[in-house]
Amino acid sequence: MEFSLNEEQEMLKTMARDFLENECPKTFVREMMEDEVGFTRELWKKMAEVGWLGLVFPEEYGGAGMNFRDFSILCEEMGRALLPGPFIPTVLLAGLPILEAGTEEQKQELLPRIASGDIICTLAALEEDGDFWPQAVQVKATERGNDFILDGTKYFVPYAKGVDYILVAARTRRSADPEDGITLFMVDTSEWGIYASPLVTMDQTRKQFDVIFNRVAVPASNIIGEVHRGWPILKQAALKATSALCAEMLGGGEWVLETTVSYAKERIAFGVPIGSFQAIKHKCADMFSGLEYARSLMEWSAEAIKENNRASPRAVSMAKSYCGDVYKYVCGEGIQIHGGIGFTWDHDMHLYFKRSRADDTLFGDANHHRELLASTFD
Amino acid sequence: MTSEQSARLEELRREVRDWLRTNLPKGWGTPEYRPPPPYSREQHELGKEWTKKLYEAGYTGFGYPREYGGVERPREEVAVIREELARTGTPGGPLSLGMLVAAPTILAHGEEWQKKRFIPKILSGEEAWCEGFSEPDAGSDLANVQTTGKRDGDEWIINGQKCWTSMWEFADWGLLVVKTEPDAPRHRNLSYFLFSTDTPGFSRRPLRQMSGEAEFGEMFFDDMRIPHKNMMGEQGRGWYIAMTALMAERSGGGGLEGGGTGLAGLGTSDLLGIEGLVDLAKNTRRFGKAAWEDSAFRQRIMQVAIELEAMRWSGARLTAKMSKGQVMGNEASVFKNFQAEMRQRRGDLAMEIIGAYSQLVRGSPRSIDGGEPVYNMLRSRGATIEMGTSEINRNIIAERILGLPRS
Repeated sequence: MEFSLNEEQEMLKTMARDFLENECPKTFVREMMEDEVGFTRELWKKMAEVGWLGLVFPEEYGGAGMNFRDFSILCEEMGRALLPGPFIPTVLLAGLPILEAGTEEQKQELLPRIASGDIICTLAALEEDGDFWPQAVQVKATERGNDFILDGTKYFVPYAKGVDYILVAARTRRSADPEDGITLFMVDTSEWGIYASPLVTMDQTRKQFDVIFNRVAVPASNIIGEVHRGWPILKQAALKATSALCAEMLGGGEWVLETTVSYAKERIAFGVPIGSFQAIKHKCADMFSGLEYARSLMEWSAEAIKENNRASPRAVSMAKSYCGDVYKYVCGEGIQIHGGIGFTWDHDMHLYFKRSRADDTLFGDANHHRELLASTFD
Repeated sequence: MTSEQSARLEELRREVRDWLRTNLPKGWGTPEYRPPPPYSREQHELGKEWTKKLYEAGYTGFGYPREYGGVERPREEVAVIREELARTGTPGGPLSLGMLVAAPTILAHGEEWQKKRFIPKILSGEEAWCEGFSEPDAGSDLANVQTTGKRDGDEWIINGQKCWTSMWEFADWGLLVVKTEPDAPRHRNLSYFLFSTDTPGFSRRPLRQMSGEAEFGEMFFDDMRIPHKNMMGEQGRGWYIAMTALMAERSGGGGLEGGGTGLAGLGTSDLLGIEGLVDLAKNTRRFGKAAWEDSAFRQRIMQVAIELEAMRWSGARLTAKMSKGQVMGNEASVFKNFQAEMRQRRGDLAMEIIGAYSQLVRGSPRSIDGGEPVYNMLRSRGATIEMGTSEINRNIIAERILGLPRS
């Protein structure tokens, strides 16, 4: 386990921060909040040009061959900047399943194009109950000749309008074991029968859609992995995405802490900076401490994944629950310390606050992960 | 590393193992071994004997120059020795703040003769130390020390009182903070002394705490005389020397070199605690079912598990930073707070799990685990007060790490 960053990683972090400060200022974030697609291909291409899309793909598929810890450093910076767009869905939720379970042909066909920014993807896993678990997958995929016909609605799909492919988890057979019978389909969004309707979400920096698949034909060759055996692939991908999400949470949390401490030093009340009052000091100290411990768990989860450690699921569950709670807490205190101005639309604090609540609900909230941990002691 | 060097280290490892086999107390590592009661004279004597043997074998005393009794060895050798001692576990040292506080402070601030006189006997375990700093009116506000020292020829006459003194009972020597400049402003009116507990005018007694025992004591100085040469550092500069001592205590005795576990090293053994909590919940029936089946308990027990793990990895990160030479004095406040507050949460949780049985303490036939959960909870109330209160620590984090202005 390596906790300090090496020189290369420090550079990656610095370059990412500079890049995002220039390309993704809050004015851009707010512009995208009003935009139906919610991100731009232009910025996407720039990210591809600096190698971010293919960061963790092997070089033979157009990637940089870097590791998961490197990737999580990027994710931290993206969380700090509130970067709009399906970065994690494209790379981890579509890209990695292809890399780990796709045929050689699929890998050659798709991965370099993801790395070059040519194709953008997302994942459609959730259905009406909104929980990430195999029982939820009821959308049917029926075999017909060389195709499968998808029929049903997927819910809470990130960025469905702006992507080229949706990786859809659909049910190809019923089984006593709900994990059995789920198949992953790479669905070309230009196919007939796909209707994405935008959801009006609290966190407008991240777009979500309900997507109706009305008898959509998907070639069998677009199946990733084996038929009926898609869930384990998805579970693995979700594990990594969850850790990456924790990194995003840390990045955002640190922005909140820095901004809040800055404000506490400048804002005058009763003739002195409010940061000289103990109540404010103690809140800031608690925010700092919380983020310290959240960071330790997040980095542990990234290192465990990087090393393909058996402890990964445990590390990820611990990180997700703790980071989720801390990020929510920090954002709450951030608003509180800012007083009235923290409650305004114009101030950026509520963007992070809303993001923290959205992040907690993704891939199982804090309570769910604690329950997952408890079940390992049963 | 050359193969010659690795061979040498392996030989050292074997040597240490053999030594341990011969020198650990009889029955060590088996259920037959009964450790002495905590804080007893028996424990103190065993610790003294053990440290003496360890020191004579050259397996302790690292991080100090040879001329002060230190044992100088290459880093890799120290690591091997420490690993082997950790593998079997060891009886621990005498009831003394010598290694943790006195030796590092004397090394940093002592006169040459003081370093030569006192450090060797700390390293060998021969002399035990306590520290007199806190007083009834000087706790968080340590600068408000009222114990006075009046110069009389070649001596200082000390009058006053200290309290919350750790390792009070068997200490041969003590570090003492005294107000010697009554007219000087705060922080400039204190001097630092080394005193022998054998001196007339000195007395001590236990300070009983709410958990029942007396880990700490009170010390009284009644016209006690200290030779002027036993002052350490400049007259009037006692506050700054005391700060060194405080930092040493809080960061674990000189960081990695001193070998202290300190705050950063804690957490690994604590991890065993979570299985204990889970077992407690599984074995306790509440309203007809195991407490472990109640989601409310499952959630809170897992939160403890998460916090323990967070502490473990935070310790690893801190160690990584320290080994790069980044001194982490203020960060200790973050650790200390978290650990202390977690202990309280854990203590409360165990009490809630056992319900009515939370009222039975050691001595009661049906007490759970000999009343240990109750004891732990009671003792944990002191954790957020000793070694820097949670409030003071938050001020330190806010002011010294985040740079917020002083009140």
